[in-house]
Amino acid sequence: MMKSPVYGLLLLFALMLPPVANLLESIMITHMHMQMPLLIISGLFMAKFFQHRFPEFFSKWNENGVPGLLLFSIIMVYWSLPRTMDEALTLTSVEIFKFISLPFLAGVPLRDSWPKLSSFWKHALIIFFTILFLALGWLYIWSPVQLCNNYLIIEQITLGWGFISTAFAMVVYLIYSYFVDLSKYE
Amino acid sequence: METVIKQSGKTQVFKDKANKVMGISLEDGKLTKSYLSVAFLAILLGGILGLVQGLNRAGMLELPAWLNYYQVLTAHGLLLVVVLSAFFTIGYFYAGLSHTLGGLLPKVRKMAWIGFWMKIFGFVLAVIPILMNEASVMYTFYPPMAASPIFYIGLVFIVLGVWMCAFGAFINVASWRKRNPGKHVPILSFFATGVFVLLFFGSLPVAIEVFTIIPWAFGWVETINVMVARTLFWAFGHTLVNIWYLTAVSAWYVIVPKVIGGRRWNDLLTRIVVIALVIMNITGGFHHQIIDPGISEPVKYMHVFMSLAIGFPSLMTAYAMFAVFERTARRKGGKGLVGWYKKLPWGDVRFLAPFIAMAAFIPAGAGGIAQTTNQLNQVVHNTMWVVGHFHLTLGMSVVMTFFGLIYWLIPYVSKRVLTPQINKLGVIQTIIWTIGMIIMSGAMHWVGLLGSPRRTSYSTYFDNATALSWDPYLFFLAIGGTLLMIGVLMQVYAVFYLMFFAPKGNTEFPIAEVEEDEAPTPRWTERWGLWVVCMIVLVGMAYVIPLVDFMVNAPPGSPPFKTW
Repeated sequence: MMKSPVYGLLLLFALMLPPVANLLESIMITHMHMQMPLLIISGLFMAKFFQHRFPEFFSKWNENGVPGLLLFSIIMVYWSLPRTMDEALTLTSVEIFKFISLPFLAGVPLRDSWPKLSSFWKHALIIFFTILFLALGWLYIWSPVQLCNNYLIIEQITLGWGFISTAFAMVVYLIYSYFVDLSKYE
Repeated sequence: METVIKQSGKTQVFKDKANKVMGISLEDGKLTKSYLSVAFLAILLGGILGLVQGLNRAGMLELPAWLNYYQVLTAHGLLLVVVLSAFFTIGYFYAGLSHTLGGLLPKVRKMAWIGFWMKIFGFVLAVIPILMNEASVMYTFYPPMAASPIFYIGLVFIVLGVWMCAFGAFINVASWRKRNPGKHVPILSFFATGVFVLLFFGSLPVAIEVFTIIPWAFGWVETINVMVARTLFWAFGHTLVNIWYLTAVSAWYVIVPKVIGGRRWNDLLTRIVVIALVIMNITGGFHHQIIDPGISEPVKYMHVFMSLAIGFPSLMTAYAMFAVFERTARRKGGKGLVGWYKKLPWGDVRFLAPFIAMAAFIPAGAGGIAQTTNQLNQVVHNTMWVVGHFHLTLGMSVVMTFFGLIYWLIPYVSKRVLTPQINKLGVIQTIIWTIGMIIMSGAMHWVGLLGSPRRTSYSTYFDNATALSWDPYLFFLAIGGTLLMIGVLMQVYAVFYLMFFAPKGNTEFPIAEVEEDEAPTPRWTERWGLWVVCMIVLVGMAYVIPLVDFMVNAPPGSPPFKTW
C-alpha cells in the first residue's frame, strides 16, 4: 500500500547523487526536461505519505484543488526562467532549493489537486502550459543572445525545440480531448 | 468501480454467429483478395529478382548489359519490402476488421479501394525509372544518391495510399466503438489500430524526407542536408520493419492459439505489448545509424537504451507464446518437462509455418540486439551479416507467418476450403523454405563476419586472397536462394489455387478466446489518443537533440550523386 512513497524517495536520492546530478545538468535540455520532471515525479510518488500523515492540512488548505494547482504553477514558472537554472548551477543554496521545491512544492500538491479538479481546471492547466511552452520555445530559439552563462547557444536552441515539441504533443492531446467524447464510448 | 468492462456481450455473440453462418461479405472479400493477389505477385517477381541477384553475387551468373546488379537490388527491395509487406498487412487486417467489427463501412471500403489504386499508380511511377536504370538507389533511397524525380513522386503516391487505408481503419474502429459503448475493441482490430497508427506516424518522416528530396532531384535546389534526410528515412525504415513484425505478432497471439485448439494469452498483457510497441517504435530508427558521422557518442549511447527497450515487449511475446503452447498441449494430455510438444499439430501448416517463424525470431532477435550495441555494430555494419539478419527476421519470422496465414485467410475470403493436398504442399513448402533460408541467411551472416561487404556486386578485388575466401559461402548463398525460389513458386501456386480453384465451402476465421477465469481488462487500454501523445513525446525526446544539431551545425550540403 505505502510502497510508492518509498520509491519516490529512492528516485529523489538517486537524482541527488552527484554523478547523476552532474550528468543531467551538463546538458541544458536534460537539465530542464529530464531532471526537473523526474524530481516532480518523485514528488508525485511521495504525495501519498503526506496525504496520510496530514489529511487535515490538505483538506483544509487544498479543498477544491485550486490552491495546490496555483502553487504547482508558480514553482514551474519559476524553474522555467533561464536565470534560475544558472543560479542552480552556481549557488548551492539554489540547487538545494531546486531539489526541495520541485518534489515537495510542485509534485506533492499536483498529486493532491488533480483528482479534486474539475475538467475545466485540468484543461485550463494544460492550455496554460501549452502557451507557456510555446512562448519559452520562441524565447530560447530566437533569442539573439546567450541566456544562460552555463550553456552554449546551440543548447539553448535545442531546449527551445524541446519546448515546441512538448507543446505540440499537448496540442494534440487537447484536440483529442476536444473532439473525442469519451463518455460516448462508455 | 467502473474501471472494468466485460469482454463479450450479446451483440458480439450474435455477430460471431452471423459471421460464422454467412462468412465475409463479397465486397470485403474482394478487397482482401485484390490486396493479397498483388502481395503474392510481388513475391513472385521479387523472388525471381532475388534469385538473379544471389546467383550474380555468387559469381555464377553474368547479368546482361541492359540490367545491372543495383537495378535488380532496388527492384527486389522495393517489391518485397514495400509492396509485399504493405499489401499483405492491409489485406489481412482489413479482413480482420471486417470479421471482428461486423463488416467494413461502405465509406471505408471505398477509401481502401482508392488507397489500393493510389499505391498501384505510385508503384508504376516508381518502377519506370528503375527499369530505365534511372533509380538504382536501392530500397534505402536516401541522399546523396539521387534517383529520377519520378521515382520519388511514385513513393509519395504509395504513402498517400497507405494513409487512406490507415484512416479508413480508424473510421471503422471509431464507428464500432460508438455503436458498442463500454466494450473493448476486439483484439485483432486492436492490433490493426496499433499497426495503422504506426503506419501513419512512421510514414510522416519519410513523407517529409521525400518532399525535401523532390526539389533537389529536379535540380531546383542545389544541395540537401544528408544527415537530416537519413534520419528521417530511418525513422520510417525501422518503423516499417516493426509494422510487419507487429502484423506477424498479431497472428501469433490471436490466430495460432485457436489453430492449435487452445485459448489465447492474457488479454491485458497482449494489449500492453501492442501499446508498448506502438509508443517505442519510431525512435528505434537510430540504431540503423550507429556508424553515421555527425551524431555524437552520448546521443548514440542514449539510443542504445531506446532500442533495447523495444526488445522488452518481444521478450514478453516469446514467454507468452511458449506458455500458450505448453498450456494447450498439457490440456490435451501432454506429459513431461518438454514431452508435451508431441501434442501440438505439427502436420498442420497453419501451425507449423508460424511456429518455425517464431522459433526463427530467437536467433534473429538475438542478432538484432547484438547489432544494436555500438562496438558490435562497428564490426558488421556494412557487411553481408546485416543482409543475413533481415532475411532471417523478415524472410523467415514475418513472411513465414504470412505464408501460414494464407491457408485459412484466402479460403475464408474466397469462400473455399483448404484441401489436405494443399496442406501437404504447405508443409513441404515450409520445410523447403526453412532449409533454404537457414542456408542462405546462415551463409550471409558468416561471410559478413569474414568481411564480405553488402550493397556490392560480385568482385574478387583483383583476386585478393581474402575476397576469394568468401566464394564458398557465396555458393551456399546461391544454393539457399535457389531453394527459396522453389518455395516461392509453391507458395504462389497454393495462393492462387486456394483463391480460384479449391472446393467451395465455409472456412472459419480463427480467433482464440481468452481463458474463462481471466480478470477483465481495464478500460485505460483503449485510450489511443493518450498513447499517441506518449509516442509524440518520446519521439521528441529522441529526435530534438540530434536534429537541431544537424540543422544548426549543418555542413554545406550535398549535390545529387549518380554512382551507377
